[in-house]
Amino acid sequence: MAEVFLMAEDLHRSFDEYKAVNGVSFTIHKGEIFGLLGPNGAGKTTTIRILSTVLNPDHGDVTIGGYSIRDNAGAVRSLIAVCPQELALYADLSALDNMVFFGRMVGLGGKEAVAQAMKNLELMGLAERAKGRVDKFSGGMKRRVNLAIALMGTPELLFLDEPTVGIDPQSRNRIYETIESLRDKGMTILYTTHYMEEADRLCDRVAIMDGGQIIAMGTPQQLKSQIGPPEQVTLEDVFLRLTGRTLRD
Amino acid sequence: MARALLVTIRETRAYLRDRGELAFSLLLPIAIFALMYGAFGGESMFHGTAYVVNEDVDGAYSTRLIERLDELDNLDVNLLSWPEASAKLRRSDVLLVVCIPEDFSARLISGWPTQLVFRQRGNGGDEGQIVASLVRGVAEEISQEIQIERQVQRALVGKGIGQEKIQTTVQKLLDREREFPIVGVSEETIGTGVDPVHQFLPGIVTMFVLFSITLNARAIVEERRKGTLERLLTTRLRVGELFTGKFLASVSRGLLQTLILLTLAYIVFQIFTPVSFIQAITIVLFFAAAGSALGLVIASVVRSEDAANWIAVFFTMSMVMVSGTFFPIPEDSILYTVSKLSINTHANVALKTVIAEGGSLGDVGLELTILAGVGVVGLILSRILFRVVPGGSR
Repeated sequence: MAEVFLMAEDLHRSFDEYKAVNGVSFTIHKGEIFGLLGPNGAGKTTTIRILSTVLNPDHGDVTIGGYSIRDNAGAVRSLIAVCPQELALYADLSALDNMVFFGRMVGLGGKEAVAQAMKNLELMGLAERAKGRVDKFSGGMKRRVNLAIALMGTPELLFLDEPTVGIDPQSRNRIYETIESLRDKGMTILYTTHYMEEADRLCDRVAIMDGGQIIAMGTPQQLKSQIGPPEQVTLEDVFLRLTGRTLRD
Repeated sequence: MARALLVTIRETRAYLRDRGELAFSLLLPIAIFALMYGAFGGESMFHGTAYVVNEDVDGAYSTRLIERLDELDNLDVNLLSWPEASAKLRRSDVLLVVCIPEDFSARLISGWPTQLVFRQRGNGGDEGQIVASLVRGVAEEISQEIQIERQVQRALVGKGIGQEKIQTTVQKLLDREREFPIVGVSEETIGTGVDPVHQFLPGIVTMFVLFSITLNARAIVEERRKGTLERLLTTRLRVGELFTGKFLASVSRGLLQTLILLTLAYIVFQIFTPVSFIQAITIVLFFAAAGSALGLVIASVVRSEDAANWIAVFFTMSMVMVSGTFFPIPEDSILYTVSKLSINTHANVALKTVIAEGGSLGDVGLELTILAGVGVVGLILSRILFRVVPGGSR
């Protein structure tokens, strides 16, 4: 069994009376792709914000690479990167300039940042558009730049928050391939998505959240086998069985 | 600190690339400057028109009066008929008409006094009052000439000199006196007068700098919405560095804007010396720091871009209106006390002191201290209130 790289213990976070995260605990092993699934409002984004040191938990703690987010957030941030659900890019900059800017922010030197940016753009199939302004890019290209930025500085733990929302199959496939290659290189990934087949394909283990709590956790195979023969059941069946069919806004 | 500077450079580049924002922050004040220059930049000597109804057609003295008025450099004479003059007065096209009565010359020749009549709307307006004063001066001059003629004639009665010769000789002497008066008046111009540019320039510069800086609050809210702020804070960038970078970017933007506007003013209006120019830039540095800190307070408390826009506009206009930018504020009024709450007031006073009054930075120490104080308090307050995400811990 690989070493535990992330350990979240009894996390709680409320906004006024609303309990967004209510007693969440899980671990992620080094080199693992861990899926965090759940309907809208389940508490996934708040959990990621806590894990990525943007929000402090009201209670509980997270240890990443041996560092506590409460006691040593700076050290934690040197190990992680976040690819947010929003296209968190500067529209007035080129893809390369965006990447170099964020590369400098994670501690790379100027030349190092340019070299790594070009390598990551190559990986995303965007090397030829490196100097194009991102506001002229298609949705799929922006998504790929969004992910490429997160790879600057080669983080040990990558948070991917719905990285394939609203893009064409080609771009999505490129992102899948990139994520798989990152896993092969030993990167640890926390992945959230609403596409269950995506989680089934990519994730070693998944946790399903609802109402601020984890209601199920295991490998996709284990979760599917809880409700029927794994080869006849999809992860979406499991998800709907556990979270219900009521619409969430 | 290097990361903070990188944030500053990125923000400044974004500002320079945004054509809409550049147009607002640079071209609009330049356009206002151009309008001011057109309105106030040329000759500021009075030049008006005397509208005259002459009922004493071909009269010797009415003709002399009109010729004398026409000889004045700063006055044109426009002869009107009664109906034309009445219509213009009714429509307020003109506010004062000089009427020469039908018997004007006849009465003067007969030795009787006579009167010019000023027909006017209200007080005749500023131009009308000056024209009336010039006409009075010419009328008095003619009146004195007539008296001199009469006295000379009286003195020479019985000396065998013809009346016509007396008149011609006296007129020649009077003409020479007008040309080479015993008591003359000369003009010595020392620098420029009380220039409207001096009055309005500081206010316009500070108004646009404050607008630009406080509207920057919108950009921060937009960054928060797009997720770039949150993303930045998952890197090694510390909140303090982010905050410093944003603050320095805002100050740089205000300074850049000021540098361009004041350089333009330097070239066009020629109202600076190199020293006063540097002093003015220094004052705006303090002002930009205070404004940037207040802009960050706005960014810290608002949740939407619209709210940021409206608060920035309201805040800037309030500061501008109570600072006496467009109208003087009497020292004994309540507004004068209120005006001390506006950072624009202190910046305008400081700028006027160094630009128009030849003062130094030492003379505006109080104003600079107040601006620096506002900057420090604003920074502390905004840092306390600032959150990368609503409800966040940083």
